[in-house]
Parts: sequence; structure tokens; C-alpha cells
Amino acid sequence: MSQAQATPFVDSLLQAAAQTPLPSSGIDWLDTARRENLDAFAASGLPDTRVEAWKYTALRALGQRRFVLGDAQAAARAVDAAVFALPGVDGPALVFVNGVFRADLSCLDTLPAGLTLSPLSQALQGDAEPLRFALSRHYREGGDAFARLNAALAGDGVVLRVAAGAKVVAPVHLVFVGAPAEDDIAWHVRHVIELGEEAALSLVEHHVAVGKHQHLGTQVADIVLRKGARLTHVTLQDAGEGSTLVRHDSVQLDAQAQASLYVLELGGSLVRHDLHATLAGDQSRLETRGVFALDGRQHVDTQMAIRHQALNTASDSVWRGVADGRSRGVIRGAIVVAPGADGSDASLSSKNLLLSGQAEIDTKPELEIYADEVKAAHGATVGQLDERSLFYLRSRGIPLAEARSMLTAAFCRAVFESLPNAALREHIDHRLMEHLPSA
Amino acid sequence: MLKIENLHARVEGKDILKGLTLTVNPGEVHAIMGPNGAGKSTLGNVLSGREGYEVTEGSVVFNGIDLLALEPEERAAAGVFLAFQYPVEIPGVNNTYFLRAALNAQRKQRGEPELDSMQFLKLVREKLKIMQISDELLHRAVNEGFSGGEKKRNEIFQMAVLEPKLAILDETDSGLDIDALKQVAQGVNALRSSERGFLVITHYQRLLDYIEPDFVHVLADGRIVESGDKTLALKLEAQGYAWVADKDPALTGASA
Amino acid sequence: MTTETTDRNELSATLRDNAEVAAVLGRRYEAGFVTDIETDSLPPGLSEDIIRQLSALKQEPEWMTEWRLQAYRHWLTMPEPHWAKLNIGAIDFQAISYYASPKNKPKSLDEVDPKLLETYDKLGVPLHERARLAGVAVDAVFDSVSVGTTFRKELADVGVIFCSMSEAIREYPELVRKYLGSVVPVGDNYFAALNSAVFSDGSFVFIPKGVRCPMELSTYFRINAGHTGQFERTLIVCEDSAYVSYLEGCTAPMRDENQLHAAVVELVALEKAQIKYSTVQNWYPGDEEGRGGIYNFVTKRGDCRGDDSKISWTQVETGSAITWKYPSCVLRGDRSVGEFYSVALTHHRQQADTGTKMIHIGKGTKSKIVSKGISAGRSSNSYRGLVKVEKGAEGARNYTQCDSLLIGKKCGAHTFPYMEVKNPSAIVEHEATTSKISDDQLFYCRSRGIGEEDAVSLIVDGFCKQVFRELPMEFAVEAKKLLEVSLEGAVG
Repeated sequence: MSQAQATPFVDSLLQAAAQTPLPSSGIDWLDTARRENLDAFAASGLPDTRVEAWKYTALRALGQRRFVLGDAQAAARAVDAAVFALPGVDGPALVFVNGVFRADLSCLDTLPAGLTLSPLSQALQGDAEPLRFALSRHYREGGDAFARLNAALAGDGVVLRVAAGAKVVAPVHLVFVGAPAEDDIAWHVRHVIELGEEAALSLVEHHVAVGKHQHLGTQVADIVLRKGARLTHVTLQDAGEGSTLVRHDSVQLDAQAQASLYVLELGGSLVRHDLHATLAGDQSRLETRGVFALDGRQHVDTQMAIRHQALNTASDSVWRGVADGRSRGVIRGAIVVAPGADGSDASLSSKNLLLSGQAEIDTKPELEIYADEVKAAHGATVGQLDERSLFYLRSRGIPLAEARSMLTAAFCRAVFESLPNAALREHIDHRLMEHLPSA
Repeated sequence: MLKIENLHARVEGKDILKGLTLTVNPGEVHAIMGPNGAGKSTLGNVLSGREGYEVTEGSVVFNGIDLLALEPEERAAAGVFLAFQYPVEIPGVNNTYFLRAALNAQRKQRGEPELDSMQFLKLVREKLKIMQISDELLHRAVNEGFSGGEKKRNEIFQMAVLEPKLAILDETDSGLDIDALKQVAQGVNALRSSERGFLVITHYQRLLDYIEPDFVHVLADGRIVESGDKTLALKLEAQGYAWVADKDPALTGASA
Repeated sequence: MTTETTDRNELSATLRDNAEVAAVLGRRYEAGFVTDIETDSLPPGLSEDIIRQLSALKQEPEWMTEWRLQAYRHWLTMPEPHWAKLNIGAIDFQAISYYASPKNKPKSLDEVDPKLLETYDKLGVPLHERARLAGVAVDAVFDSVSVGTTFRKELADVGVIFCSMSEAIREYPELVRKYLGSVVPVGDNYFAALNSAVFSDGSFVFIPKGVRCPMELSTYFRINAGHTGQFERTLIVCEDSAYVSYLEGCTAPMRDENQLHAAVVELVALEKAQIKYSTVQNWYPGDEEGRGGIYNFVTKRGDCRGDDSKISWTQVETGSAITWKYPSCVLRGDRSVGEFYSVALTHHRQQADTGTKMIHIGKGTKSKIVSKGISAGRSSNSYRGLVKVEKGAEGARNYTQCDSLLIGKKCGAHTFPYMEVKNPSAIVEHEATTSKISDDQLFYCRSRGIGEEDAVSLIVDGFCKQVFRELPMEFAVEAKKLLEVSLEGAVG
């Protein structure tokens, strides 16, 4: 089910891992998990399009490329903090350049009460036991090659904890900067995020670039919300043109927890996002909101799976996609209602605009229902801007090109309406308008 | 100001307008009445440049320029405004933002300076007063979730802000109860001026009780078959359209 | 208000727990009898020899034998399909007999063994004089062979060919050679390849240019013998501006073993032609514990080859232990239209994985999909569909609606639609819902005096109305009855 393992991609990473292995963590279980995941990656290689989860994303070209593992010069790369400044986001910040933690760019001085925030490399020097569950995970699915790779090779990342009852109001800013280097770099970050009972957190994950490069970044995040916790998580993916970014998020919601996940995919050349959410506790609620707006030869593949496995849980997902140029947008939105998950209320909407004859949209909403006291619905469309609306705008004097971008932005805008951070919402809107084709 | 001559137009291969001739001067209010299917709405759509309406013959000259050669937005900038029979809902586009974008696009095309948000807000406040519209409507998306009456009032409000030279009201009375109708008519009357022409398209006479026309034309089978003053509308009200159909259009077609 | 709700809940809980209601459930599969009739059959097993023997038994020309052998050789190279959502034991292809035929093959309908006629009478299929009254031309396939086709003369008068596939191979070889395998190629998929190698019979329909077939054509398939599989092959060709409405029905006796049914249906619609294909599939579903029942693996595909052609699939699937079928339309001709209307009901331990593929290639092509799934017992019911709009399919339109109804806590209802769009003027829309029969609806019916089972039937019938409307009248009645019978015992 996978490509011949000896692709240049696999070869280069395995070689690099052998020559400059991660320094031993001094933690047996972690070293074992890293080794086992590396072996699993070596055995499986990259998935091909016969693997259902990779049906619409071919990795042939990536498989032919070679990468250097990590950036030894990362600490010296010049990065202007202005590239990641965001209005409405003024809490603590953790900044990584090519996957390497940069204390000089980060802001960890005054953490609010109840918040523990540090790079993974530091966290591992203290009591690593709380990280054991997340970091010794194994990825068994045929399509999880990047997660395996990440588990084997990630030396850093973010460890974030909010103590029970603590409310972290100012958004925590996690920044991942891609910076040009002599070689194409593969970097890996691993996050462990936990919100204690009744805790609240606002989190902004931000991918940006400071110049042209073709790096590969992988990120795996385990996010757990304990009973009654609340999370607002905004991902602003503005990665560099030409870069490859693979993110794998697992979110677990215990009883009465509530998570709102917002995703804006603008940048990158080949982008893959796996979002697996489990509504594990009764009355937990999940809201996902996402937009991808693509042009050129961008390829963005979002694979979302939401699993309801407790009583009276709710999920509501609204996604919008725009594909122009020769781009390809892929979105799978699977809702699974497990046996016994009575009272589940699940809905998903995936609407897409196909703006060019060279672009393609593939959408695959899914329902898998094993309980009967359930309300579940999904809808998906692929189409164009509404001619009547276009005419209405033009009849009021708005030129065609402007009318088009106005309607395209409006099409995406509804997705972020419920985002409570007004300044950030405005910034997103602005960024989206900037990004959309106006002529 | 507007000179329509021998206009023929076709929709989906079917001839709808078959030689319509009409002149509107500044300050005049012309009512176009007629039975269903006579081509009333087609006239409005052809004048504002909607796609799918093919002009096969005739000309439309607006202040000396060939209106039919212009894109819809260019017509708007030239001063033509169509109040839609069914205003379109545009979720996600804020009403105020939309209106400012429209006004500035028109001003830009006319070589006038664009208004900044303060200037625009001031203008809007003035117009709101005239239209008696609550500014709550401004914060919503264009026409989204508006009642029938709100949509029509929003159309007239847009007209007040954009200040066109020629306003075409396409069945603005349809779907309105009498109170909403009065409000809309009041708005229109407030915008009557010696520089502005109106084309009021309607099926019923009742709108003309509130917007008094200078001329009334009867449109049947794609042509104007009868023209007169406002008493013609009363005659139609009393006798219906049957007598119009009885007239031989071939004999009367050129009378307008 | 609160009291009323409580009462209602108690009432329905009582009813659900009521053992009597549960006991009434098992009204049996009504087509489950075995006809005691002498059969000739090939020994179990599959090899080139068996295929040669089969072909010889059927007095086929050399090219046909070769065609089968090619398919067989290809099949040997193919891996068994990977089942996404199906729970299935391994199939032993060597344990199946690939040919079973009643002895004393009839020359005409008048010579048909009275026991056979009785069988079809029991099934409510009018093979004989009653057929004339019903005005439906019927081809009946019993195990591996066609036992009689009615109305042949009347059809021949207008130029319509309606006969068994075996006859067609002998009598219209040029037509068969031209079209057989042109829609579903020999190596299309595992079961299509198997079918191509061993198909025994089926129906052949040819409607010449400009002819509107004067009556509904219908085939009734019946598996009777044990340890056999049925591999029928149906081919329908409509030339320019021709029209036909074709119905198929299927039943089998109750047996503890699983029997394999792997059919292939090919439809070809040339310019302005229209084919309406309706199926009521009631193969034996197995018992409550999932013992026995038919494995129904079918490849059905229509090719809208000509401009302005139309192919419409309507199916009511209530039978089989496992159903795996995706009647599809290849919309090649400009402005061609594909439709798929489906009701799939699963109960006990049945598994259905069904849906459609609409491939938009021509300009202005349209497709519509309406799928209604009903799951009860411990069954699993999946819709799997693909809507693909190719680059050149300017102005293509699709609308898909998939609704699932759950009855009971142990069943599953799944929806897996794929949408692949490469043309920016296309509009593709998909909507799906999953729900259970609402307590409010049930209570409303019952408060008007309708018993719980009848209320469920009523609601299910309403749920399926959109699809039933597409069926020819007689079939619609049968389909409704079938649903009622299949659902018995589902509420409890």
C-alpha cells in the first residue's frame, strides 16, 4: 500500500537521522518511542494515493526530494518580529524558526497565573512523566507517515498547560517561521497542550515566512480539554510560497468542554492538515470553522474527522474553499457517531468556489452513524459566484473584478463571524481580502 | 435625457420587446403599466444591462451616450439606477460597506474624489433621516433577512445615497402592504427633483396614488400601445387591460 | 405538557419492551421456498475446463468461449477487493457450481414445467396468460438459464429484440459482439471479471432507432438450486431516439449457506435515447442471526453515449445478506442526463453498500441522485457515491440528496459521497441527513389510532416516496409491500 521505500525523501531523512541522531533524551520510554516510530516510518515510507486518506494528494514529487534534518543555523537567522505581529494577540509568545526555539524572539516574561508554557526541549529536562502518554503514541494507520516521522524526529515543540480553573484571556501566540537556508530543511515540532478542569485558553497558532524557501515542516499536536474547559484556537497558516507543511492535530474533549477551532489556510505550496477531534465526555461541544483560499499551484488537503462518543455532544463545522489558478483544494469532513452516543447533534457544511478551469476541488463529507438518537446532517457544494449577486453589485456601480472579490470574501467571511477576538477577526478579514484575486 | 427608439429585445430566444419607443426628460415621472408578460420588467433589465437580455434592434441613448454599449457598472456610474423587483440577498457583505464601495466606485469613474468613511457616514445619516430608516439595517448584510418592505426601502435608500439621474423602479409595489407602500412612495417623492427622471414600472394603479406620474404608458406585447396622463391609469384601473389587448398593436404601436 | 411527554415516553417504552410485539415480528421471507425440480448442473469449481464446458453446454460460438477465457485469465490476476465497510467471510470460489439449469429445457412457454410456472405464480410473476392482462413482457431466469420470454412476437413486430442472453449470442452475434463489454470492460473489477468468465444467462434488449418500446420489459431472476451462484449478464441497447422501461426482480429460497450473485448490467443509450431501469431486489437476506443469504455483488453501468440521451436507475433493495452495487452513468453525450433513485433497507444483520457514480464528461450534462437508506436491527447501510465533473463538462449540474433513517440502537447508517470537480462552470450540490423516526411523528400517528408498526410503515413509506414515484405502478405497490414485510419486527 505504499511507495517503494527507498525514495530520495525517505533515504535522505533516514540517513540524516543516522548521522546526527537526536541527542538521547535520557528518558528510556521516549528514546524507545522515537526509535520505534523511525523504524515504522522506514518500513512504510510515504503513502500513495491508494491509501484512502491520501487519495487526492500525491506525494510522488515530494518523495523525489531530499531534505536536510533540522537547521543548525536557526539561532542566527534574522527575523523581524513585525512579520508575526498580530492585532489583538498580545499575550505570551513562543517563536520557532525552522523548527528551532528562539528565546530572543519569544515573550515568556510574565505568564498569567495558572499558565505553564515552555518549549518541549526544556520541559523534557524537568519531570517528563506527564508527557509520557502523548509522546509515546504510536501511529498505526497507513496514512500516518508524517506523524511517525514527527514522533521519531521532533526535538522541540510547545508544552502548554492551563491549571484547573485558570482563565488565560490574552491569546497565547505560537509562531512558526520558515526562513531561507542553504538547503531544503525538514523540521519537526511536537506540541502537548492541556487545559485543566474549567480552565480557559485562547491560542493563536501562526505559520509565516521571512523569505523564499522550500522547507518541509511537520507538526503534531495533542490537545486535551478536561471537564468544562474552554478553548479558542485560531490557526493562521501563512506559510512561505513553495513550502510544505503537514499538521496533525488530535483534540480530545472531556465532559462539558468546549472547543472552537478556526483555521485559515492561505500559504504554502503543499499543505496537509489532519484534524481529529474526539468528543469523549458528555455534553462536550466542538465548533470548527475553516477557510482555504488557493491560487497558483497550491495544494491544500484538509482531513477532518470528528468522533462523537459520549452523550449529548454537539459538533458544528463550517468550511469554505476557494480555488483559483491551477490550485487544488481537498476537504474531507467525516463525522462518526459511536454506538451509544445518544443525543449527538452533528452538522457540517463544506461550500466551495471553483474559480478557474485549471483548478480542482475535491470534497468528501462523510457520516458514519451507529446510534439512533441522533441529529446528523452535512452539505457540500462546488460552484461559482452567484450571477444575480454579481449583477446586483454591478448595477450599483461596482466594477466586475471588485464585485467578484467582494463576493468571494463575503463567501469566506461568515466562517469567522463567531470569533470573539474582534481585532484578530478584522485582521483575518483584511488578510483574506488582500489575498483574494482582485483582478 | 433618455431616448429609447424602436427597441427590440429577446430573452432565451423569445422576442419580448418589439419596437418600444420612449423619451424621458429630467424631472419627469413616467409610469409604465401593462398586463403580465407585456415586457415591463424586461425593459428595466435591458436598461440596466442584465446578462441574458439580447437587444436585436433599436437604440437607447442616455445623455448623449449609447447606453447599450456600457457594462452594468458603467451605466450605474453614468447615473442609471434600477430598484429591483426582487432585491438580492448577499450574506457576508455589510450594507454600509457595500454602499460606500458602490458610491466610491461611481465617483471614481466619474473622476470625483472618493469619500472617506467620516464623510460617507455623514451622508448616510442625512439620507437615513429622509428615508426614515433605522440605522440598524445598515449594520446587517445586504438585504439578508430583510422583510419585503425593508428590502424595498433599502433599495430606495440606496437610490438616495447614489443620487442617480434616472431611477427605474421595477414593480416596487409588489409584495408590499399599504403602509409599506406609503413609506416607499414617500421616500421616492422626497427624491423627486427637476434633474432626475423616473421610470415607474407597475402592474397596479395603486402605487400611482402615491407617486403621481406626469405620463402613463401602456405596454402590451412589447410595445407602447397607449400613452396619456395620469387619468389613463385610472381608466386602466376601472376597465382592466382587456381593452388594451383588443387594440391592434400594429395600428397604435407608433403612437408613443 | 410535561405529563404528556412522560406518558408518551412510557407508552413507547412499554411497546418497545413488549415481547409480543417482538414475537409478531418474524413474518418470514415470503419468497423463501425451494422448488423441487430436477436440475442439471456443472460440478462445483472453477477452471478453464469448466468455462469451456459451460460455453459448450450453451452451444456458444468460438469467440464467446475465447472472450470468457480471457476474462477468466484476467480475473486470476486480480486481488480480491478490500471491503471498506463490509464484514464478510472469505468466499470459496471453488465450492460454487457455476451452472445449474432445470432439466427438460422448454422450447416454448407452453412446454414450461408446470412446477416452474407455479414457482413464478407464487412469486406473483405472471409468466403465462395473465401476463397478457398485465401487459408486461417477462423474461424469467431460473438459476442459470432463461426459462421463457413472453410477448416475443408482439415485440418483434415493432423491431424490439427481447430475449435471453444465450439466445442473443446465437442469433444476434454481431449486436452482442458490438456492445458486450463495451460499458463494463472484462477487467473492470473483480466480480465483473468473474461474471464475464462464467455468466450463464440474462436478458438482452435491443430497441432500434426511433422505436418506443410499447410495453414494460421485465426479467425475473430466481436462484433455486443449492451451492450455485448466479451470474447473469444483461445488455440493453437503445438506438437513436428509442425508449425502453425495464424492470428486474430477484428472489431466492432460504438456505443456511451464502450464495453468490455477481451480475453485470450494461446499458447503452445513443442519441436522444432513454433507458429507465428499475430493480426490486429481494434476494434472501439470511436469517435474524445472519445465517445464509445472498452475497449480491453487482456491476451496473449505463453509458449515455449519444447527445441528449438519458439513463435513469431506480432501485429498491431489501434483500441479500450483503449488497455491493453502484449503478452508474457515464454522461458522455452533450446534455445527457443521469438519474439514480434508491431505497435500500437493511434489517437483522444485513449489510448494504450501495450508491452511484455520475461521471460528467459532455457539456451541459445533468445528474440527480436521491438515496434513501433505512437501517434496522443490527444491520449496516452505507451510501457511497461519486460525482465527477471532468474539465470539458461545461455547465454540468448535479444535485444529490441522501437521507438515512435509523430504527433501533444497534444499526449503522453511513454516507460517503465523493465530489471531484474540475470545471469552474459546474454546480455540484450534496445534502445528507441522518435521523431516527421521530417520537413526535410516531405519537401523532398513534394518537390518531394507527398502530405502531403501521405508523412506522407509514412514515417509512413517506420517507421513500420520492423514489417510489419513479417506479412503474405495479412495482411501486410491490416495493411498498416488500418494505413493510422487511421491516416487520423492526420496532421493538
